[in-house]
Amino acid sequence: MASKMFMGDMPELMENIFNNLNNEFYTLYSCALVSRHWCKMSIPILWKDPFSFKQNPLFISKYFSSLGEDEKFSLKEYGLNVEISKTLFAYAKFLKVFHISDLETKVAKWINLQLVDADSKSDSDYVQLVQHIIDLLFKLFVESGASLHKLDLLYFYHEINPEIFNSLEQNVQFFSRLQNLSLNITPYFGIETTTTFLKIFGKNTTKISNLELHRCFQFYDPQLFHALIKVIKSQEQLRKFRLSHSIEDKSSMEFHGIISALESQKDSLQEIVIEKCDYSAEFEIMKNCKQLEIFRIWNCDYSKLLKMLNNKINTLEIVDSQINTLTIVQSLEKFGISLQRLKLESGNEGIRDEFLLFEALKSFCPNITYLSISKIKFSIQFLDLIGKNLQNLQFLTLCYVDWPDNEQVMQFAKKLPLTLQYLNLRNFLLSSKIDILLNHCNAPLKKLLIHHLGRANTKALIEFCIRIKTLNYVGVYREKYLKLEDNIRKEVEEYVKLAPYEHIIVNC
Amino acid sequence: MDNGTSNSASENETITLKSCDGIEFHIDARIANRYTLLNNWNGGESACIPNVNGKVLEKVLEWCEHHINDPQLNCGDDDSRRRNTIIEEWDENFLSCDQDMLFEIILAANYLEIKPLLDLGCKTVANMMKSKSPEEIRSAFNIDNDYTPEEEEQFRKENEWAEDY
Repeated sequence: MASKMFMGDMPELMENIFNNLNNEFYTLYSCALVSRHWCKMSIPILWKDPFSFKQNPLFISKYFSSLGEDEKFSLKEYGLNVEISKTLFAYAKFLKVFHISDLETKVAKWINLQLVDADSKSDSDYVQLVQHIIDLLFKLFVESGASLHKLDLLYFYHEINPEIFNSLEQNVQFFSRLQNLSLNITPYFGIETTTTFLKIFGKNTTKISNLELHRCFQFYDPQLFHALIKVIKSQEQLRKFRLSHSIEDKSSMEFHGIISALESQKDSLQEIVIEKCDYSAEFEIMKNCKQLEIFRIWNCDYSKLLKMLNNKINTLEIVDSQINTLTIVQSLEKFGISLQRLKLESGNEGIRDEFLLFEALKSFCPNITYLSISKIKFSIQFLDLIGKNLQNLQFLTLCYVDWPDNEQVMQFAKKLPLTLQYLNLRNFLLSSKIDILLNHCNAPLKKLLIHHLGRANTKALIEFCIRIKTLNYVGVYREKYLKLEDNIRKEVEEYVKLAPYEHIIVNC
Repeated sequence: MDNGTSNSASENETITLKSCDGIEFHIDARIANRYTLLNNWNGGESACIPNVNGKVLEKVLEWCEHHINDPQLNCGDDDSRRRNTIIEEWDENFLSCDQDMLFEIILAANYLEIKPLLDLGCKTVANMMKSKSPEEIRSAFNIDNDYTPEEEEQFRKENEWAEDY
């Protein structure tokens, strides 16, 4: 007999199971065909993010059964060959994830599939048609009773029909449960449109926990910034905030109170990401964020940002063309035993004074469990740090590390700590020496990421699996994974599972 | 529920839990400290955990013991946990039991609010469905098809876009 879980007694458990199948469109489709109850449970998940479906967006036609007669007729007038019949569900109400740029691309693709005579359409007719379908769908979603969890208002090149804003004012549920919001202001999307959206969020949305602002500071408009500040202040518990600017727009690096508004979220903010921004005194507000523990600085003046932080940071990520150790040592001392995860990714200019970095980590940060580091030279100091000082190290990623000789690889392998479970060497320039590494490694690795798998390292990998017995997954570059020789794949998979590296990568 | 409190109990402290069929288990107090509901049944002579029999409770406690030192996740991490479809080998072996036991473990984890085990069980069941046809899923989980042929046909028509993968 089937478990009672599947017979309708425990819908919350079935929902939990199906939520693990997010974007597994075929499987969800199969589940929906199993029985009526399974259909009821899986259809909302199948239709919650259909615009991420990579194949032909034929699902769009199914939304149109909910249109009024005039709207249906308008499709025919535009020369679209759409068969519209009554559907079992009003699918629009299941929408939860809405990337507006996906709407645009999928609508264009769908039109190309439906147009009776595509060649007869001029460019302006075509643009008008795309705009018309976007308007119809957007309005339909808003009025269907859908309630979004994630909205991405990035990179949209059409206008928003004023009627949609009226609809949004009347259908407050559409944004009332929004948890993730990403937005930018492009000349296409316009200040006025963005301001109107922000005013609606400010009124109807209080549940955003993750807010991302991309290139919002190119154009200053008092109304827009006022509305944005209101959105930030209206949220009950903002946990993650990302501010992304553009290095090309240095002229407009004023934040006009946006960062200061985070004061209202000082009891909930846990993670801040700052990308391509100049330092501003407004950032001082971060000092007051009691829960702040994750700080990511991508291509910014990290020295000033780090200097003013007093928080107990446990995850620090710095990405820049060059990393100057002198400027971060003090912060490593400040974060000290709180720091558990550290990623330092430098561009061509590498990490300056790396020995100072190793010394600081050794002296102040014994609790590091995750270390990702790039562009360093192989040295005894580095080997000591890995082998002796970081006693809790579980995850190690090395990128573009100077090509060591065989002896150094051997030393490195032998020094890998027995706490290490994850070793990511996919961008490590010792691909040809993976066999030496594996032959001398005693760390109980569970996941290993390498650039490719060839004849030479296959044998060493199998021997490692037999000897150490802990390895579950080996990740290789997708391209190399797809081109893997069948016999190598077969041979290796008798001992360990192979995967494209992005399936098993662990981010900082 | 994974309550996010630190394990204040020491390694030597034990507590006693009793299953609904009267089997007693003496477990590390740190386990009960991690999961509030287990703690609620600590010690009482006649206090037994309803709805969970000895065989299932033994498995649940085995899992808790193995994961006693795992970091505790924030409650907001649901999506990131789900995005990762990989199950560690120990857990995979642990849940390679017969289907009835797997479902009993899920029900017990749900009842006892042991969220990581509940999620793991649900992920395991989801993985069992992946890339299968409706017929294969029905047969794997012993489900009867109660669609009328007309309904099934209409449903297929409306959702056949998702067949293309």
